Amino acid sequence: MIFAQIFDTINNGLLVIDREMTVKYWNRWMAMHSGIAADEIVGTSLFSYFPELDQPHFRRNCKSVLQFGNFCYFSQRLHKYLFPMSAPGSLADSFDHMQQSCSMGPLRNKDNKVEMLYISVQDVTEVVSYQKKLVIMNHTDQLTGVYNRNYMEPHLVKEIERCRRYDHNMSLLMIDVDLFKIINDNYGHPCGDYALKTICERITSNIRKSDSLIRYGGDEFCIIMPETSEKDAYKVAETIRKSISDHPFTFADMTFNTTISIGVATLDQSTDDVESMLKKADEALYSAKQSGRNSVT
Amino acid sequence: MNAAAEEVFSSEEKDILQEVMNIAFGQATAELAEVIDIFVILSVPNIKVVKGRDLPGYFINEMDGSSVVNLIEQNFLGKFSGQAMLIFPSGAEKELIKLFNQENAEGTYDVDIDTLEQETLIEVGNILIGACIGKITELLSDFVTYDPPRLVVQDLAESSPSHFPVDEDSFAISIRTVFRFEQQNVEGYLFLITKQRSIKWLKKALQSFLESFM
Repeated sequence: MIFAQIFDTINNGLLVIDREMTVKYWNRWMAMHSGIAADEIVGTSLFSYFPELDQPHFRRNCKSVLQFGNFCYFSQRLHKYLFPMSAPGSLADSFDHMQQSCSMGPLRNKDNKVEMLYISVQDVTEVVSYQKKLVIMNHTDQLTGVYNRNYMEPHLVKEIERCRRYDHNMSLLMIDVDLFKIINDNYGHPCGDYALKTICERITSNIRKSDSLIRYGGDEFCIIMPETSEKDAYKVAETIRKSISDHPFTFADMTFNTTISIGVATLDQSTDDVESMLKKADEALYSAKQSGRNSVT
Repeated sequence: MNAAAEEVFSSEEKDILQEVMNIAFGQATAELAEVIDIFVILSVPNIKVVKGRDLPGYFINEMDGSSVVNLIEQNFLGKFSGQAMLIFPSGAEKELIKLFNQENAEGTYDVDIDTLEQETLIEVGNILIGACIGKITELLSDFVTYDPPRLVVQDLAESSPSHFPVDEDSFAISIRTVFRFEQQNVEGYLFLITKQRSIKWLKKALQSFLESFM
């Protein structure tokens, strides 16, 4: 009596299926979130309502429960969910489906033989949403909203490895705002912040989605450009340079101009790791600065 | 075994446990092959009585020096309680992924390769641990439940006794098996560490097991 009440009131999905995959029990939580009432599904095959579960992986796990009395776990990390259901409340905006952590275990009869198995379904959408936010925060520069340096190194390592493996092009732009200190000194720090944000917006509108813009330091930025030859990288760099120098910046009532210098590095024999790639881009940037700023090298 | 260890678990009991393990592992491997197409060879288990504080050193000794490993740990709870530890050399995940993932040719799961590899290790670990412990406890008329398995990439040389579910001063029975996947050419170790309070039950259960043949 008590256990039957718990079965229906617990804040977890619970269902019981027999060796033929016929649903024997289906608790209210499952009914509420799946929209399938217990009296509809009990007595029918689980796969008739959830054909997507009829996969080797799921069957293998059922077998190991029924045969060995094993317990199996379906992690959210790998599966996202077992039973397609809507994410609860406002989380439905960011998730197509409720994220679930599920487990499965044996149910024995009087002779201790495994006769059925239970599946429990836990809604972990909220936790996953926090995890996602943390990952984004950890990779994002708070001021400009572009990637930060935490993101850069592992991403650059992966890109270099991938492009080398498939013998593809890859370029890296190193960008520095010319005489940025003067903007801060003359117009104040809020204006400096505005300039950095606006520069990022202008750069972003001139690069592809597959390119990554990273705030490398105070007024230094870096763009990782996969599938981009040296020639194409120059072209993009030139467009970006002009987008900054050709249009004045307006903050409060102040209007001013600024420029950037860009160093270009492309993956080749001499640059095959993160350090050599960054070094080459840095050296190119230094030459651009030496040659009078507002230029691409 | 030294005198104290002999008192905890006698040579005769060790022999019976050895026999139980042989039968259990024989059945487990046969069923793993038959039921889920996993072909694994389990070596004859090695049984030792170890003091809690000596466990870290014991592991390093048993592991032939390779101390950075993938370790899947899972607690089991029944009359037979303790911790199962499945140890794969690092790199094994690349091989094991082939074991399960023919059917979901890359792309079925929308996850990066690292996640897929880690989850494969956990799944293989869960199945192996469950099959072995399930068979042992079945022979000894017990049923156990499990914690979800956890994967840790760890340097065994840096693990401390507090890592294990055994007090530093109490004894644990360690059952060590080397296993090898036939198709994947991957080897690893399975350790079952029983808690001291299970030892009392284990001694009785082994006695009953023996008597059932008399």
